Amino acid sequence: MTATQEKATPTPVGETRTINLIQAITEALAEELDRDHRVVLFGEDVGARGGVFMATAGLQARFGRERVFDTPLSEASIVGAAVGMAARGLRPVAEIQFADYMGPGFDQIISQAAKLRYRSGGQFTCPLVIRTPSGGGVKGGHHHSQSPEAYYTHTPGLKVVMPSTPYDAKGLLKAAIRGEDPVIYFEPKRLYRASKGEVPTHDYTVRIGEAAVRREGTDLSLIGYGGVMPDVERAAEALGAEGVSAEVIDLRSLVPWDQDAVVRSVQKTGRAVLVSEAPRIGNFMGEVAYVIQERAFDSLLAPVGQVAGFDTPYPYVQDRVYLPGPNRILAACVRALNH
Amino acid sequence: MIDPHTPDPIQYVGEDGTPVLALPERFTPALLRELHRDMLRAREFDRKLITLLRQGRTTFYAQSSGMEATQVGLARSLRAGHDWVWPYYRDHTLALSMGVPMYELISQCLGTNSDPCRGRQMPHHFASAALKFVSISSSIASQVPPAAGSAMAQKYLGTDEITVCTFGDGATSEGDWHAGMNMAGANQAPCLFVCENNQWAISTGVRQQTASATIHIKAQAYGMPGYYVDGNDIVAVMEVCAHAAERVRRGDGPALVECLTYRVGSHSNADADAEKQYRTREEVGVWLARDPILRLEKLLEHLGEPVSPEERAALIAQTHREVDQDVLRAEATGQPDWRIIFEDVYADLPSHLRDQAAALRAEQEGARA
Ligand SMILES: Cc1ncc(C[n+]2csc(CCOP(=O)(O)OP(=O)(O)O)c2C)c(N)n1
Repeated sequence: MTATQEKATPTPVGETRTINLIQAITEALAEELDRDHRVVLFGEDVGARGGVFMATAGLQARFGRERVFDTPLSEASIVGAAVGMAARGLRPVAEIQFADYMGPGFDQIISQAAKLRYRSGGQFTCPLVIRTPSGGGVKGGHHHSQSPEAYYTHTPGLKVVMPSTPYDAKGLLKAAIRGEDPVIYFEPKRLYRASKGEVPTHDYTVRIGEAAVRREGTDLSLIGYGGVMPDVERAAEALGAEGVSAEVIDLRSLVPWDQDAVVRSVQKTGRAVLVSEAPRIGNFMGEVAYVIQERAFDSLLAPVGQVAGFDTPYPYVQDRVYLPGPNRILAACVRALNH
Repeated sequence: MIDPHTPDPIQYVGEDGTPVLALPERFTPALLRELHRDMLRAREFDRKLITLLRQGRTTFYAQSSGMEATQVGLARSLRAGHDWVWPYYRDHTLALSMGVPMYELISQCLGTNSDPCRGRQMPHHFASAALKFVSISSSIASQVPPAAGSAMAQKYLGTDEITVCTFGDGATSEGDWHAGMNMAGANQAPCLFVCENNQWAISTGVRQQTASATIHIKAQAYGMPGYYVDGNDIVAVMEVCAHAAERVRRGDGPALVECLTYRVGSHSNADADAEKQYRTREEVGVWLARDPILRLEKLLEHLGEPVSPEERAALIAQTHREVDQDVLRAEATGQPDWRIIFEDVYADLPSHLRDQAAALRAEQEGARA
């Protein structure tokens, strides 16, 4: 195991048990509520109902209505109130029911949350977390399937993360809650129950801004984040069966993102394929491709490949066709390898 | 004269089916029977679609059981195909009552080739240009400002159409709701806003939604009358909505009607356990007893024109047959293929989408080969 890999994907030490991604989120929230009385949790239906995906199940019963509560149906109020609470020293964790519904809260996110520290010369800060399920694959039509992360990565002042494993989900959420900046925490909803993995029983965090090397390889770097990761790993396995050694990197954090891990990998393999499910134009991976050509141009043996969603709204029927599955990822790898 | 700003919802027919106000003349037994038929048909439509959901033939369903008087009553107060409707996702009973063919609604719910919306949206997100029933957006309250604009356009064009905009109680918390109400008020736009207050927004009760005693009193802040009506009393809904619609049509500016009703089922198939999670069996029981269909049946009995059990059973059987036939007919048209991903994004297919579509075609044909 290389030093990089140790740093990026620490093997859980000590006692662990296997849980799924949504359980990891619930545990992180419960432990942070327990640890710090300033942490409060709210949003639409997070109280008695426990959230539409049950991420906050049982938390109101355990921590009371003062700390875990339902809000009126208004994302602008949810985000705006979180900004106010954060400015007054609380640690608000707000849930937006679907990333698709951040729209009504958009102005509060980009005008208030993102800029409070900067425009006040650091006199006021905004340490809040907005958790929201995102991505497709659940037959939800466009309003329950979009991947809007690029809007937020484009806004200075926000940190943006998207885990794909229970270990990262828990560690990143705790880091987000304990951090000093506003964090948009996207949850790939189709992995809520599909992604299972070992998580330590002890307290830990995952530093925001570090990628994870999921698989080491020498011929090609496959780089992704969030909901596409299982398909990326499947594609890497298929390549392995054909004798091609693919390295798999999970970005985990988009702002800040781990340029060094990506550049190091591409310098080793000479080929990169970037995978995400958001529409292609303005996709965050465009930035990754830019940095690869800027910092690893001399190592490149082929153009940087990109697999993304189409530049169309997310459909209800044919929704699986919209998503870049292993076949589309493999085809991009073959193009890069045959260049 | 119907008075806005009443503290209690306006009611014509009491819970036991006896009139508490004199029945207006137009409510002849023949009309009441028609209303009964429409409500029962909608109720059975709900029942059948839940079966389809259980069979895995559709993926989502938001019932309107318990809200039939509100939606049928509203539909009957409008000029179908003439007035514009900006509805929300729970409005399939409104759609059916305005004359949208059941076949089209079912096709939309199944996302088949016969779906006028071409499989783009989740079930219940229907649109019909023929009936001026504008495409439903899942994003709560996002239809309210456009409805104000639609009404402003009518004023500008000088037509006698009105715009109707519906929403739940939860929607009235969104900024878009306030923005749209304000815009309509400031411009005296011919818009009828109708709140289908079924008292729950998923698991959030109306008392947690707003500290305002009612929704209809908010109308005052935007310079329009607000009417409060028993949404389970179809006579009251029709009287108040017709009165408000007439006022709007006359050019007296917008109005808000709040229909106090109840969703007796779950929010959607996603919270089938509503009774365990956030509300009590007792509460649901109280509202089951206030069932709008039952109330109309009691009224008809009171008038000496009861609906016989045979008549009722025949109506139910007929609706079930109709739904079954429409489902089979819709399913026989098949599912739209991958092309629907790229069509209707823009008026013309731009070059980047042409490239993406060509790549997908190659992939799809490769997969088939
Ligand atoms: C902007 C936005 N936020 C959140 C949601 C998720 N959501 C769907 S339905 C619903 C409750 C709506 O309640 P209400 O407006 O009262 O209508 P009802 O379903 O009760 O008829 C919520 C929160 C959404 N669709 N849009």
